[in-house]
Amino acid sequence: MRFFIRDDAPAASAHVASYIVERINHFGPTPAHPFVLGLPTGSTPLGVYKILADKYKAGEVSFENVVTFNMDEYIGIPRDHPESYHTFMWKHFFSHVNIHPSNVHILDGNAPNLEAECVEYEAKIQAAGGIDLFLAGMGEDGHIAFNEPGSSLASRTRVKTLAYGTILANSRFFDDDLDQVPKMALTVGVQTVLEAREVVVLALGARKALALQRCIEQGVNHMWTLSALQLHPHSMIVCDEDATLELQVKTVKYFKDIDQVARAEGFEQILPSKVRTGPSKVPTTIITDEFPAPTILSPQPTTSRLLRATPATEYPLRSRSPSPDASSARHLLATPETEYTQNTEYSMYSRASTPDLMPDSMASRIGDPALLRRATPNPDSQRLTPRAVSPNLSAVPRTNGIKV
Amino acid sequence: MPSVVRSASPRHNGITKFTNCRLLRGEELVWDDVWVSSATGKVIRSQTAFYDEFIMPDEVVDLGGRILSPGFIECQLNGAYGFNFSTDNDMPQYGKQLRDLNKKLVQTGVTSYIPTVTSQSRSLYKKVLPYLGPSGASRRPQDGAESLGAHVEGPFLNPTKNGVHNPAILRVAESFSDLEEMYGAANLTPASEFDPAPSSPSSSSSSVRSRSSSDPLSSAPIKMITAAPELGAMTSLIPALTARGILVSIGHSEATYEEASTAVTAGATMITHLFNAMRPLHHRNPGIFGVLGVAPAPNDQDKRPYFGLIADGIHLHPATVKIAWHAHPAGMILVTDAMHMVGLPDGRYPWTNGEGEHYIVKKGNVLELEGTGIIAGSSTTLIECVSNFLNYTGATIPQALRAVTATPAAMLGVDGVKGCLDAGADADLVVLSELGFPEKGSEREGGDGRRELVVDEVWKFGVRVF
Repeated sequence: MRFFIRDDAPAASAHVASYIVERINHFGPTPAHPFVLGLPTGSTPLGVYKILADKYKAGEVSFENVVTFNMDEYIGIPRDHPESYHTFMWKHFFSHVNIHPSNVHILDGNAPNLEAECVEYEAKIQAAGGIDLFLAGMGEDGHIAFNEPGSSLASRTRVKTLAYGTILANSRFFDDDLDQVPKMALTVGVQTVLEAREVVVLALGARKALALQRCIEQGVNHMWTLSALQLHPHSMIVCDEDATLELQVKTVKYFKDIDQVARAEGFEQILPSKVRTGPSKVPTTIITDEFPAPTILSPQPTTSRLLRATPATEYPLRSRSPSPDASSARHLLATPETEYTQNTEYSMYSRASTPDLMPDSMASRIGDPALLRRATPNPDSQRLTPRAVSPNLSAVPRTNGIKV
Repeated sequence: MPSVVRSASPRHNGITKFTNCRLLRGEELVWDDVWVSSATGKVIRSQTAFYDEFIMPDEVVDLGGRILSPGFIECQLNGAYGFNFSTDNDMPQYGKQLRDLNKKLVQTGVTSYIPTVTSQSRSLYKKVLPYLGPSGASRRPQDGAESLGAHVEGPFLNPTKNGVHNPAILRVAESFSDLEEMYGAANLTPASEFDPAPSSPSSSSSSVRSRSSSDPLSSAPIKMITAAPELGAMTSLIPALTARGILVSIGHSEATYEEASTAVTAGATMITHLFNAMRPLHHRNPGIFGVLGVAPAPNDQDKRPYFGLIADGIHLHPATVKIAWHAHPAGMILVTDAMHMVGLPDGRYPWTNGEGEHYIVKKGNVLELEGTGIIAGSSTTLIECVSNFLNYTGATIPQALRAVTATPAAMLGVDGVKGCLDAGADADLVVLSELGFPEKGSEREGGDGRRELVVDEVWKFGVRVF
């Protein structure tokens, strides 16, 4: 994690804005290879949007080939409502830059089928090649998007009920009338954010100090959802001095030292160049016991042992499984030994639920029913030659991720 | 993978975005953008266009921090550039001259106006009024300034307050048929009740009104009548006029405070060039000006009339302008009362005034009826009046601009369509720059510290016309 402390809010916002501009320009987006930017709403990023708009007007950056995905939107208020996030983004950012409307994605809180809207949103992110940089603010309680305390760290885009305190706090924007305040919202999940190739978080002001401390100095915890950022290979937090109030002097000094040394050496703490310019590749969450996949050159969000109990299961994405229903999942978890026979279709549950070594028939992992009929409980007595199986193997996608 | 970035629509949508400008919004100048469509001629809701219709503006106009105001609305204009609305000397040329005037007038920032016809003979009204009715239905930007309907100033005026109007032709109305006889019934009748194909000379002319009952601006050719309410049955005729959508303005009148109040109660909503051609304020009978001092009844809306002020520096003392403005800021409308000599060199100009030969002498901005010393209208422009007002009163720019935009629009019942920059309004715009405003760091430019607004650009129906 890169952590930058700036003197005040404008300096912190300027740092983030400059970083984003630098990223976009270095990326060199084209229509076929756009830069995909995740965007937040709220008071924190206002300064960043202002500077980005100014930089656009000064000709320092173009949003011509930038695709954006917003984090969240209220359910049930019109798009042109003054408090909607559509309005916010239009007012503070989109109207000031040359972004094309068809490249802008904001969840539709008035969609007839909200769940389908969420699934589609995740699919759109995938179709755009995944998010290159997700900008985020930090909530006072450490939330990211509407992933308030207690949200699953493996969550995906979904419908979220707002906490009563949030509704009360929001009522000031709705004529102090609780009835008018949206009670629900659509939001990307923590996992959605973690799958971005890079996450940049801005935390401003003393009110964010405790959350910042929890997210940096303490462990990953769903009560401070942003702490999941510790699992991300390329995360960056930028804050002002006020937000460091709860941090240890040691922490602050450490990160300031790094920043100082890096700058003195002329070495910016940037991403490896391949990540910064490389062609978009849809990142896949890897659930593994061995941490083999991500390298510095091909960052992959990793859901580690810490998160392995339930990968984001609310909305299957491109699952080839005919019906991955939850009851079978529970069944599988309860009786691991049945997994190998039941797990013949590619479902999102197709992985060992315990790390214990279990004898395994390779054929059972292939999932070709024709082969499975031929699989025997005892691999040693299997007479098929490997060659006979291999043509099928090549056609089989990997099954260890949630997307197969 | 298909490209997720769609190329910008090559099809021109005619949308222009104004940015880096200060918009006149109510009492403030607001830094914001405005999107206008030349296809609909209206200000569009940019957020909806962006999210719902995936529209990007064809053209982005950076105004460099200048002021973007709604187009001005002139409520008292007798003619300009040598063309007098009150003339029947050369009727075949009337339509052409009117079109020329509209194209020139729009360059002064006046995008809509109510052409004013002074006290004239019956025959002249019937000839010219069909030309002067609402002309915006065609929505052609190149036509220039748009008539919102004619303003007939007379002849039902008080002979003792005639100004330069010929007292010999002033009349007293006793019934509605007197009005119809004078102006012609067709000119007092809204389009929906009227034969859509009048046999007037206008039907072949492109600049005259094209009536359509669906157009809210389409109404009778006459939009406003200035009359002296104390004469004849005029006060009792006001409701019949307002029922036809015709506004009644008190002017050229000896009306007392009581008579003026009665006229206002009957439905008069305007005072024509306040202070000029009426009794001066007397502290025991405040006269027409007094109705601006009425306190609205509790829980009742303000029913005080609007009033026109000629802030040309000649008709009114600057202090008088300021007093009137303070009396009823929301009712003040700046007008020029300009004659056809505006835009012409000094000299002696013939003038149709009912009967006989008359001449008006122009010397600088002063117009006098030859041989009388009576002020005969002005030869100023509306933007000059706005600048004058700023200097007379120390008002803010929004307060001054409001008097030529939102307030006249409200008076004429076209608020929301004209005189504002809200989505759905007609995209009539004026770009203004400031001279001599200390806060702009150009203190010396206006000379003597005078603050001045200058019309840089004019847009009509979303198209730049100046």
